[in-house]
Amino acid sequence: MTTPLLEIKNLHANVEGNDILKGVNLTVNLGEVHSIMGPNGSGKSTLASVLAGHDAYEVTEGEIYFMGQDLLELDADQRACAGIFLAFQYPVEIPGVSTKFFLKAAVNAMRKYRGEEELDAMDFLDLVEEKAASVKLNTDLLDRGVNEGFSGGEKKRAEIFQMAMLNPKLCVLDETDSGLDIDALRIVADGVNNLRNPERGFVVITHYQRLLDHIVPDFVHVLIDGQIAKSGGKELAIELEEKGYAAFENCSTGCCCG
Amino acid sequence: MTTMTFDNTCFENLHKTEAWMYTNVSSLAGIDFALATTVVDESTIKTYDIAPANSFIVLVNGVFNEDASRIESGIDINANYDLAGSIASRGSSDIPRLECDSVTITKSAGTIHILQLVTGDCPTAASGRVFIHAADGESISVAETHVCLGDSGHLFMPLTEIMAEANANVTLVRAIRGSNTAYQLGQLHVSQHESSEVQTHTITLAGKCLRNEVCAYLDGKHIESNFDGMYMLGENQHVDNHLRIEHNFPNCNSREFYKGILDGNAKSVFTGRIYVKEGATETDAKQTNQNILLSDNANAMARPQLEIYNDDVACTHGATTGEIDEEAKLYLRSRGIPKDAAETLLMFAFLNESLEDLADDAFKRTLTDELLSAMPGGEFIRTL
Repeated sequence: MTTPLLEIKNLHANVEGNDILKGVNLTVNLGEVHSIMGPNGSGKSTLASVLAGHDAYEVTEGEIYFMGQDLLELDADQRACAGIFLAFQYPVEIPGVSTKFFLKAAVNAMRKYRGEEELDAMDFLDLVEEKAASVKLNTDLLDRGVNEGFSGGEKKRAEIFQMAMLNPKLCVLDETDSGLDIDALRIVADGVNNLRNPERGFVVITHYQRLLDHIVPDFVHVLIDGQIAKSGGKELAIELEEKGYAAFENCSTGCCCG
Repeated sequence: MTTMTFDNTCFENLHKTEAWMYTNVSSLAGIDFALATTVVDESTIKTYDIAPANSFIVLVNGVFNEDASRIESGIDINANYDLAGSIASRGSSDIPRLECDSVTITKSAGTIHILQLVTGDCPTAASGRVFIHAADGESISVAETHVCLGDSGHLFMPLTEIMAEANANVTLVRAIRGSNTAYQLGQLHVSQHESSEVQTHTITLAGKCLRNEVCAYLDGKHIESNFDGMYMLGENQHVDNHLRIEHNFPNCNSREFYKGILDGNAKSVFTGRIYVKEGATETDAKQTNQNILLSDNANAMARPQLEIYNDDVACTHGATTGEIDEEAKLYLRSRGIPKDAAETLLMFAFLNESLEDLADDAFKRTLTDELLSAMPGGEFIRTL
């Protein structure tokens, strides 16, 4: 059996003393798109933050393996270099450095980590042009401060653009659809779909089924109160949309729904 | 050059006054300052001549150095200037002025660079005056570099005045570089008339103890005034940015935007006073002072002050003092940038925000370079 891309075993995590994740199990293989759905406060974003290595979240129990490597031993930047990308729900604005400048630092930090030569300025700019076009992002925006003054849609497109630039193995999208209108949603989804390939896996965290009309998942998991209450195929998202999360709320003990 | 008697006992009790309560320069009273003119070698001057295409005016210890300067029309040097009736004479400053040459600028094609050097084998005191006079509709851009050379502990007391007549536009950048043993007590006085725009940047990158006074009179309607400042200091360095903006007419906008990074035992003081005269309706004035402290012993004092004699005004002030933003740091790290580099990048971003809009590229590049040299981890940014 091949090593899974991501293997989460009995993951418990808390923030500021509050237990949020209470035993999450999830396995993602290369080429798969997994969607994690759940009500507010169920731990979806916490899971994303824990994967990315956010210091504020403390893992109290369980294990995470990324391509067989113990992920919990790596710092946030090492995880990124190893191939994990988190598209933030609320990307931070950083006035004073342009997105281009920042991404050049990121691309070269990763290349250095992998023992590759740094990208020269021309090749870098070519890559920027190409990837920005794939999410219909105006490259003028990339000369502004990072995410500075971007609209909600521009911020999310910029996240997918960064994802395309950094070429990760595992993409974690944290409510990338929040705050997007239909057109922006389609552009973002197209950008993600362009990046789907057998050498990459996705964890798509969302509150609503509508994103999954555009990014069709292979698996859907329902996260309730820090545990995965139910897993299924893409049809599970539709069932959720019809019945709401309430119908699944007692599932975490192992009973059967539907 | 005849030297004025310089009574430095005036510094003895300044810190006992409200305006100087956080800046103690009493030690200056005990120093026997020389008031000599010294020759500076050409190569030293060359290192500060950053844009050979521009006019370049050099003052050494307040005396015009003709050989090193490139002067075009619209620039005059006066050996003896009379401050009576000048903008500076409208207010009162505790900073003494020594006799010096005066540079008067009435026109500029590109940016005019002024280099003021203070030098000497023993502690040397000097002033230097720059007067920018933009007539109706004129645009003038000036960049000043102030440098105390060597580690003798010089005292520099530069005076810059701006007169912006109706519809005029003046941009002034002042960068303080050079020795970290020097004292600099500087004054900037600004008078603006209707629909004029003035933008100044005061950038403090060196010095032991500095005070940058700004005093502006908005004497007409529809004026735009921007006073920006930036500083990066460590060890026992001290900077005091002391501003007073007088809104004397309706419909004027002013902004004070000062930000800095402090390490070691460094200390910054910001006093931004907005005065709104009776009748100056629809005044919009903002004061902002932001500090990042890199050490437990660094200290930032922000004193926003409002003095308003009118309704119908919008005056805001905000001061933030903190550490490097953890959220932003995580964002950078989640893109593969190591912790130290992420911190450097965020410090650079914070300060670069006030360099970004400098119109003069050569000057901007030089200051960015200087900033990176002084910044821990700055070399990393340079490689990008």
